[in-house]
Amino acid sequence: MISASQTGPASYIYAATRMRVRKSKLLAREDYIRLLNMGLPEITRFIEETEYKAEIDELAVSFSGIDLIEIGLSWNLANEYQRVLKILPGVMKTFARSYLSHWDIFNVLTILRGKSQGVKTGKIKEILIPAGTINVVTLDRLLAEDSPERIVENLSSWILHPVLEREFAAAQESGSYAGMENELYKAFYRYVLKQTVSGIKGGKPFREYLQLEIDLTNIKTVIRLYQGGVREDVRDLMIEGGNFSVDELVRLAGSESIEEIMEGVKKYYPSGPVANLMEVGGDGEFALHEMENALTQVMLDKMDRISKRYPFSICSTMVYLKRKRYEVANLRAIARGKESGLSGEQIQGYLVM
Amino acid sequence: MAVEVMTVEVAEATAKGLVAIGAGLAVGLTGLATSIAQFSIGAAAVGATAENKDMFGLGLLFTVLPETIVIFGLVVALLLLF
Repeated sequence: MISASQTGPASYIYAATRMRVRKSKLLAREDYIRLLNMGLPEITRFIEETEYKAEIDELAVSFSGIDLIEIGLSWNLANEYQRVLKILPGVMKTFARSYLSHWDIFNVLTILRGKSQGVKTGKIKEILIPAGTINVVTLDRLLAEDSPERIVENLSSWILHPVLEREFAAAQESGSYAGMENELYKAFYRYVLKQTVSGIKGGKPFREYLQLEIDLTNIKTVIRLYQGGVREDVRDLMIEGGNFSVDELVRLAGSESIEEIMEGVKKYYPSGPVANLMEVGGDGEFALHEMENALTQVMLDKMDRISKRYPFSICSTMVYLKRKRYEVANLRAIARGKESGLSGEQIQGYLVM
Repeated sequence: MAVEVMTVEVAEATAKGLVAIGAGLAVGLTGLATSIAQFSIGAAAVGATAENKDMFGLGLLFTVLPETIVIFGLVVALLLLF
């Protein structure tokens, strides 16, 4: 009874309005252009004057320069996601948590990799972004463990634990967590796709978006494999659930030229932004990272469109979560780029605006 | 079988009753319409105010706008009754 009343239309309207207000506070394209013309201290000051103030102030005692920006941004992202989860009622919270569980994969693998390479606990903790379903207390407990086996055992209540447990032995044997990471992300997408039919309002359009995200992620993988000259054992790298079948993706990955890949993609996306990109990409006008950013932009635009078409649904929340993630990634790219002495134009090529 | 004859008094009383029902419906139905309009605006206004306190006045104003519907209903009811 409680969950039914919590997820009535009023709850969706309330949550969607709050997310739209938050989304309107995100940095605009003009802000990024201004940031590209600033030096690192000015960027720090600019960030401090925005939504990141609390985290930057808190961390200013312990860190400075690029580390301050980087850790401040990560902390802000984690705090913001936790605040959003607190706002969301009923099934909306469950759904958002399921989508944010990809941060858990990132955190768990960071801890496992760090521990197996003998990195200090404090150093690993700096990199973690506790924005998912595994909270800070649990992450601290995991960090206190020394053996990877104990870390896996401690995650028994995690939704992706069965996959982790199944793949862990093989990962330990091979000495690489890459295969396990792939399997975890595949399980993550299966889990979220299942959640879209749990009765959440906006689940169907979000499912369509998710299929696009899976497709574009697979296309990025195919292009990377082609550029890297990898033609074999690509089946395990593809995510199921999108519009492309795994067989089709394997066939695409074995293409002789980039034009063949672009033509293969255009079969499924004969018109629209993806087809346009494939047209330009086939002409060789894009560098790999530019192509990847353009595909990410297509995903975000699609998300924006469905959130406007279904304003009082889960889509408004998801678009904010996505946009916030890329804002943090953009700010990090600007700060890192400036520190490395890259020009504004070069950095701009790595931004998703 | 008795044949019922409607006297003038009965007709007048029936007319008054129907007017009262009409007035009740005018207020009741417009009240329902107002509440339907207000619940979504209210939810959005509370959400906006939670994010930005300055939105309180504007949110309140938007929330009470559908009150005009029920006021129209009330006016019609009063016109019917008096």
